[in-house]
Amino acid sequence: MQLTPDETTVFTLWGLGINETIVNTWIIMALLTGASILVTRRLRPDVPPNRWRTTLEVIVTGIQRQIEEISPQSSRHILYFSGTLFLFIALSNLLLVVPGFTPPTSSLSTTAALALSVLIAVPLFGITRQGIGGYLKTYIQPSVIMLPFNIISEFSRGISLAIRLYGNVMSGAVIAGILLGVAPFFFPVVMDVLGLLTGLIQAYIFAILATVYISSATAIVKKPENKEEDR
Amino acid sequence: MSIDWVTVLAQIANFLVLVWLLKRFLYKPILNGIDSREAEIAEQMSEAARAQQKAEAAEADFEAQKQQLLADQAALAERVREQAQQQRDALLAEAREKLEQERQDTQAHLARERERFTTELYKASAETLYQLAGRALHDLADERLEEHIALHVVSQLAPLSEELAAAADNAEEAVANTHAPLPEGARQEVKAALQARVPGLPLRFATDDSQSPGLVLRIGSIQLDWTVDGYTDELVGLLEERLASGESGRVHDHGG
Repeated sequence: MQLTPDETTVFTLWGLGINETIVNTWIIMALLTGASILVTRRLRPDVPPNRWRTTLEVIVTGIQRQIEEISPQSSRHILYFSGTLFLFIALSNLLLVVPGFTPPTSSLSTTAALALSVLIAVPLFGITRQGIGGYLKTYIQPSVIMLPFNIISEFSRGISLAIRLYGNVMSGAVIAGILLGVAPFFFPVVMDVLGLLTGLIQAYIFAILATVYISSATAIVKKPENKEEDR
Repeated sequence: MSIDWVTVLAQIANFLVLVWLLKRFLYKPILNGIDSREAEIAEQMSEAARAQQKAEAAEADFEAQKQQLLADQAALAERVREQAQQQRDALLAEAREKLEQERQDTQAHLARERERFTTELYKASAETLYQLAGRALHDLADERLEEHIALHVVSQLAPLSEELAAAADNAEEAVANTHAPLPEGARQEVKAALQARVPGLPLRFATDDSQSPGLVLRIGSIQLDWTVDGYTDELVGLLEERLASGESGRVHDHGG
């Protein structure tokens, strides 16, 4: 049983093997970008939004609302990052139902790449928001003793994100494959429906966790109020 | 289960590209569109609020004008009502005055009619009385009446002494006419009385059937009547005098 699409090389480009994970990722990127271009190419304020534009607006504003609920200091950059995470993972998991299509999220390389992206993005957002000094101070909060634990915590976040997403998506695909062999008529359909649900939930969880991590990194630690200064 | 680090790097690159693509073609257009639409809606809302304020101000102005108009209308109606009341009072006063004038005219007319009628009635009564008295005196007159009249003349001559004396200067005689011959005693009385006033003037007694019973004394140009007709004429004169003055007052007294 093939557990990851990394092992399937689709074609070779300049001596570099392009595996199925990357190709499927490009497909998803093309779908997302193409749909966005199609819907937003003739976007004008004086033209009433059609149903496709309304759909995209509902999705984008829904993501934005979720981010605002989590992070008081929400910005569009967090939306770009977390929203793209959600849309990419959700579409990847939804395409699980397409026969012959292996979601890129079922590759540990993809989930590790996404987790690494979060792992890199969190300090970047934190530094952008608080500056290098302010961000590094968060590692010695509440005391210097917590520094190694905070560092371990940062890395364990990325690892847990990667493993969680990979495990859920890959397990869904594996279970569907096994059930297809055992009972090929009824259970695979049920498992696919369940896989769609868990895929969406995983996308939601991944994006939400990434937002929470970014939000915690961008949260400014307030100093105790100095009454003399207030005067 | 293994991690292909080349794939990991490629996926990181893919993901970053996807972030840029979606930012460029999805998030920015959608969010900018939403923002511009919200701004447009906010502008329209503020425009609507301004229009509403303007409408409310216009409504308030209209209400004020309406209230002013109603107040003016009420004042005008009150003024017209007062004018109508005054005009009605004036018309009523004029009508009352006219009625009063007509009533006074009617009463004056009635008074005049009543006075005229009373006068006519008095006149008719006087005429009837005159006729009845004259008829009664004519019917009752006899020699004794004439004697009594003659004796009365004797008593009446005293105040006329001067007139008699003046008349006697141009007269040759005095003539005493009666309806029937006077008794001798009466003649002597009359003669003596005349002689006492006009000495030396002869007196002649005569009778005239056409004369009213009584005595008519002629001395020159003057004539003194003490006849029944003379008395009745005096009665008529008195009645007319009373009717002309005293009786009218009596009518008013009764009418008032």
